[in-house]
Amino acid sequence: MDAIQFLINGFGIAMQWQNLAFAFFGVLIGTAVGVLPGIGPMSGVALLIPITATLTSGLDPQSAAASSIILLAGVYYGAMYGGSTTSILLNTPGESSSVVTALDGYQMARQGRAGAALSISAIGSFVAGIVSLIGLTLLAKPLSELALSFGPAEYFSLMLLGLCAVSGLAGSSITKALIMTVAGLLLATIGMDNVSGVSRFTYENAYLYSGLEFLTVAVGLFALGEVFRTILDRDKGDGNIAKVGRILPTKQDMKESSAPILRGSLLGFFIGVLPGAGATLASFFSYIAEKKISKHPEKFGHGAIAGVAAPESANNGASGGAMIPLLTMGIPGSGTTAILMGALIMYNVQPGPLLFEDNPEVAWGLIASMFIGNLMLLVLNMPLVKVFAKVIETPAKYLLPIIIAISIFGVYAVQFNTFDLALLLICGLLGYFLTKNDYPVAPLVLALVLGPMIENNMRRALTSSNGDFAVFVTSPVSLLFLVIGALWISIPLIMKMRGRSVIINEED
Amino acid sequence: MNKTFDRYASIVFLLIGVLFIVESRKISASSYGSNVGPDIFPIGLGILLVLLSIKLFIETAKMKKEDTKGEKPDYKRFLIIFGAAVLYVVLLEPLGYVITTFLFLAVGFQVLEKGGWLKTIAIAAAFSFGVYYLFVMVLQGSLPGFPI
Repeated sequence: MDAIQFLINGFGIAMQWQNLAFAFFGVLIGTAVGVLPGIGPMSGVALLIPITATLTSGLDPQSAAASSIILLAGVYYGAMYGGSTTSILLNTPGESSSVVTALDGYQMARQGRAGAALSISAIGSFVAGIVSLIGLTLLAKPLSELALSFGPAEYFSLMLLGLCAVSGLAGSSITKALIMTVAGLLLATIGMDNVSGVSRFTYENAYLYSGLEFLTVAVGLFALGEVFRTILDRDKGDGNIAKVGRILPTKQDMKESSAPILRGSLLGFFIGVLPGAGATLASFFSYIAEKKISKHPEKFGHGAIAGVAAPESANNGASGGAMIPLLTMGIPGSGTTAILMGALIMYNVQPGPLLFEDNPEVAWGLIASMFIGNLMLLVLNMPLVKVFAKVIETPAKYLLPIIIAISIFGVYAVQFNTFDLALLLICGLLGYFLTKNDYPVAPLVLALVLGPMIENNMRRALTSSNGDFAVFVTSPVSLLFLVIGALWISIPLIMKMRGRSVIINEED
Repeated sequence: MNKTFDRYASIVFLLIGVLFIVESRKISASSYGSNVGPDIFPIGLGILLVLLSIKLFIETAKMKKEDTKGEKPDYKRFLIIFGAAVLYVVLLEPLGYVITTFLFLAVGFQVLEKGGWLKTIAIAAAFSFGVYYLFVMVLQGSLPGFPI
């Protein structure tokens, strides 16, 4: 089979010493990012883009792209894992996807079984990593071949569906989410129009010709916005840190958690593939499912190990699954994958069906490195759990100004101008006020990344149809995407009108 | 949720939408023989944004008045740190990376929690020199150096 041959080549790339080092630093930094309050996976990945850009500057473009995406993906799933550490030890989830873990994890910690909870979540994450590796290998080829048969009209509708899915599930008000999406698309039109070469909304400002830099906006909205929130709201991470205790799980623990881990990984993976439905939803669903299946549902909430194993596997499975639409179709399904996509575009690597043909080393190298990265997480975290527990105690006093300094350094190192730094600070302010008032910023960033592609495909489709908009509904595939997109937005609205509460996906 | 914020936000987004529509009409027509010019996409989005803002405005008007509870945000510390960040950005190129970063960090640490000057100076110096040395000397990157 081709795919296996490619996967072996991918392992060849991932095993190169510099890529091993990148994967290692990625998961290490990612775990720290997940553990530290105030920075989640999105800001962590955004902050590291400029640093990886400098680290890889000596390599040729292809391997530079492969190495940096390996590091960034490492940060992504490392942070997923790190977030669970704080859930278990402190009862304060580091990011939204580990909220459910805190339910049983913290109870286990209070019973002196924190070590077992932590190691089970490491094992669960590892199994989920393998499940998503297998899924990616099997699905990559057929899905990218399917996507290759799409014309501009189908692509336009597919991307629209992606945006609808993310807006439909983000935040508590769909109107607000849609406003953010449209605002992101509008911001994306600033700069030189790459179809006709006409400059739009630039007002003779030299910095605006290339458009608003995605990296600046993302770091500002996520990282600075979060720091500003912590300063303004006097968010203090007080609380007693539970003792870690014995690290290795007992035989009984393993027996009780093996089935939930498998179920959680599979469920998480498939939820992750769906655009918009991220790790948070996956962990939530798998917890509910385990509670339903379990013979002792009364134990949940009182330190049941299955209640830690299932959601932890699910959120890692989901982060692997989220790679599928990104790599095969070029459509990010969540805020973090949008940032990964922005990073790939910075290296002139266009994610999408052609990625597997044009840049097989990037695609397969990344897939293989996810396996290696998960193995490293397992090896790293079992002995280092106690060290990471110490990281939680980093005083906010030092942490917050340093995050601001890193953001400014990162943006300046890539852009070399103060215009982007000013934009960074403005985006930080906007990020704080928008997030505080329930305007989700993830759809805005996603729209900013997808905007130029949506517009190009729309105009290519319209040009070939002589300006007839019917082209989007006459193609059955395109029509199907549009209908699903419309349903995605309208179903939660209808459910809300009927007085049902809808599960809301927090940003992940 | 804050009703006042939502009301102002809906007006701001409405104005942004109108601005984009008006400004799009000034974009010169496409150079080649396509009737799908560079102005269609922004105009369409502008209209969409206007409609959504009106929807938000109506939704906000319908919303019941909620009293905002919780602590008042800590504007004083925030404004000092934000002001320091603005100065940092403005002075970065004239004064160089090491000096501005050191000063910004020292101010930031002290504003968040007074005292511990020795540690403040040590960490701020270690960060600013460390990043500069690693980036410029080891990775051959480029940052504004020292004022001459």
